[in-house]
Amino acid sequence: MRPYETIAIAGMACSLAADALASAAKPPQSVEQAVAVATALARTEGIQVQPGLASQAGLASQAGLASQADALAGIPAEWIVPCLDALRDATPGGANWLRSGLERAVDRVGDALPAGRLADVVRDAARPPRARGLAYSWLKTRQPQLAWSLLDAMLGDPALELRREAVDKLLASAPDADESLQRDIHRRALAAARDIDQIERIAGWLAEHGEPVDLAATLGFMRRWLVSPAFDNKQGVGFAKAYPPESPAPDTTGWKQVGSTDKHGVIDLNAAIATEKGVLAYALATVEMPQAGPAEVRIGSPCAVQVWVNGEPVMQHEIYHASEAIDQYVATADFRAGSNTVLVKCCQNEQTEAWAADWKFQLRICDRLGTPLATQRDSR
Amino acid sequence: MMRRASTLALATSVSTLPCFFLAASAYAADWLEFRGPGGRGIAPTETIRTTWSEDDGISWRADLPGKGASSPIVVGDLVVVTASSGPRQDRLHVLACDRATGDLRWQRTFWATGRTLCHPTSAVAAGTPASDGTRIVALFSSCDLFALDRDGRLLWQRNLAVEHPRSGNDVGMGTSPRIIDGTVVVQIDCQGDAFAVGIDAVTGSDRWTVPRQKIAGWSTPLAIELPEHGACVALQNPNGLELRRARDGVLVWSWKGDCSGIPMTTEAGGMLYVPNDGLAAVTPTTAEAAPAWRSTKLACGIASPLAWGDAVATINRAGVLTVATRSDGELRGQVRLAGSFWASPLLVGESVVAVNKEGATFLVSIAGEPKVTTENQLPGTFTATPAIADGSLYLRSETTLWKIAPP
Repeated sequence: MRPYETIAIAGMACSLAADALASAAKPPQSVEQAVAVATALARTEGIQVQPGLASQAGLASQAGLASQADALAGIPAEWIVPCLDALRDATPGGANWLRSGLERAVDRVGDALPAGRLADVVRDAARPPRARGLAYSWLKTRQPQLAWSLLDAMLGDPALELRREAVDKLLASAPDADESLQRDIHRRALAAARDIDQIERIAGWLAEHGEPVDLAATLGFMRRWLVSPAFDNKQGVGFAKAYPPESPAPDTTGWKQVGSTDKHGVIDLNAAIATEKGVLAYALATVEMPQAGPAEVRIGSPCAVQVWVNGEPVMQHEIYHASEAIDQYVATADFRAGSNTVLVKCCQNEQTEAWAADWKFQLRICDRLGTPLATQRDSR
Repeated sequence: MMRRASTLALATSVSTLPCFFLAASAYAADWLEFRGPGGRGIAPTETIRTTWSEDDGISWRADLPGKGASSPIVVGDLVVVTASSGPRQDRLHVLACDRATGDLRWQRTFWATGRTLCHPTSAVAAGTPASDGTRIVALFSSCDLFALDRDGRLLWQRNLAVEHPRSGNDVGMGTSPRIIDGTVVVQIDCQGDAFAVGIDAVTGSDRWTVPRQKIAGWSTPLAIELPEHGACVALQNPNGLELRRARDGVLVWSWKGDCSGIPMTTEAGGMLYVPNDGLAAVTPTTAEAAPAWRSTKLACGIASPLAWGDAVATINRAGVLTVATRSDGELRGQVRLAGSFWASPLLVGESVVAVNKEGATFLVSIAGEPKVTTENQLPGTFTATPAIADGSLYLRSETTLWKIAPP
């Protein structure tokens, strides 16, 4: 592909899709053609136009995509549902091109959209989560009772937005239940929920009713760390500098054992070391994984951070004091079954504002839904 | 979704006219971008109603499908606004309401492709859309940029955080796009991949892109015409200001000096009024431009300054509206408004219109000493700058769009 080409189809296997995209905006003549157009749109890579080059290529590509979306906007109601499967392996931009065409079709056909087939898509956990979520949202506006009825089976659903709706439905049944059943409902909801706000809401109810929840454990935060002394990070020089703890077998002599009692597993380095500016520190945790394979490392910090798993770099973010959140940065890493090491480099800058005083992080290891995977025995 | 107020008074009886005819002829004025024509926030020929409330003087109100801090824009027979929804605020909405009735004409929803973390005070839909009258471009905090036609057809999209993977800001991006000389200018100031890009409004492809300093900023570009360079854009960050030609991004002037990270520079009579720890008046022609004047009494807070005639006005973080003489920064008067101000003020006729976060809209006469003439309250949280067109004021709370009826 030339660098200024604006369309790249992911995978040469979809020659039918490429043909579909290359053609002018002819309306699909069959459901197979519609699906081919949808697949091509969904797998469209983002544009890569270099300055000064090929505005005509840009015109051809974006205009071509728009006309293909136009073609999808005109398909019959019964072809819409099959096109949803094209969201499997969709690129970020491609998913939006596809959605723009299909939602125009949905607007056009109105109530002719087959509710039963939408419900089948929602029920089928093997289908792409976004396809199921979209089908659910269309069904919800047309046949809300049918949509509502589907949620009972979705407490463990792999589509996060459907699981969230199912948890909300379960919680909505609580007020009419007796207290014992209410507790049971909230315990089940807590086990099913993966969204932080939902988990906190449920935990709050349980705490109010005499069942305090260890949130840090529920969310799977790593709470036991060995923390290094401070290293220099004046003017941010330390972020890119490999201090000895980044060596393959770091010597942790003199490091301090730190445990978090925070409900979100925050490791406060100001408390662990000292309130300093222009410094950085390393934190090392040993985590146990039930099986080998990839998992998501999720870190939140208002400071610049880097993470290694078993000595392999996983992520780095040189951002200082631009908000903080649980799961702020997420990256996938390969883990071994059994013991693994996680090393965090947490860098503080020299901003003097009161809101820039925090020097801290929180970290958990999860599957893609946010289910905690790792446990800790101790920090060594 | 849309509710019409009981006092609804339709401006015209045009419902049977074809849309294209309506768009071309029924309305004299549009409001196409953040702070309206030229981004100056100036509507000297408009006259708006002076009193209204939730139950009085409302043409219509529309409940929005999500949260936002973006301003509405008025394009022909449409009022266009953005919002975001979902537990992660990653569903991005662009919607168009009928200008006369408030009825939903179309809504497009996209998935965010970039980061959607955001400070609670701001929103993923914080950038105001812009239009050239034909196309509508909408930018979200996820650095997703969508261009749609007036029927809601997606013309092109740029997933700028996919192209620049470390762009974005977890406080939330607040900048709005501009369409200048056929170029959509987007300024992404952040600690990661900071850049500015000029995109062909028709094709969606790059005309130019330039890296920027890795420093967070929330300002919106300003269009400015320079005799020797034509249409230019002013790009501001906390370390200074630069002017680039809109068509090719060539740097034609820069100024190194403290600038605010949030309120944008404005212009009047060829002079730039730059928010910093107050306000500085700078001529964008000389290489080492010293400010013509600088006044710490004209602090801007979050809201952008106004400049018109021989006056400038600012609202500081304490809610004090200050008016000064544009030529020398000499103080003319001050008035304390209640509440906090995230929305920028507008000049309408001989009044400054200022909306506080708590939903009060102040009309301040600036004919002499600034004086609050009326204060009108609506429910909700208001951080969006209003829009004005044909005597109607469009106010947007976090989740509701209001059209205040013309006088």
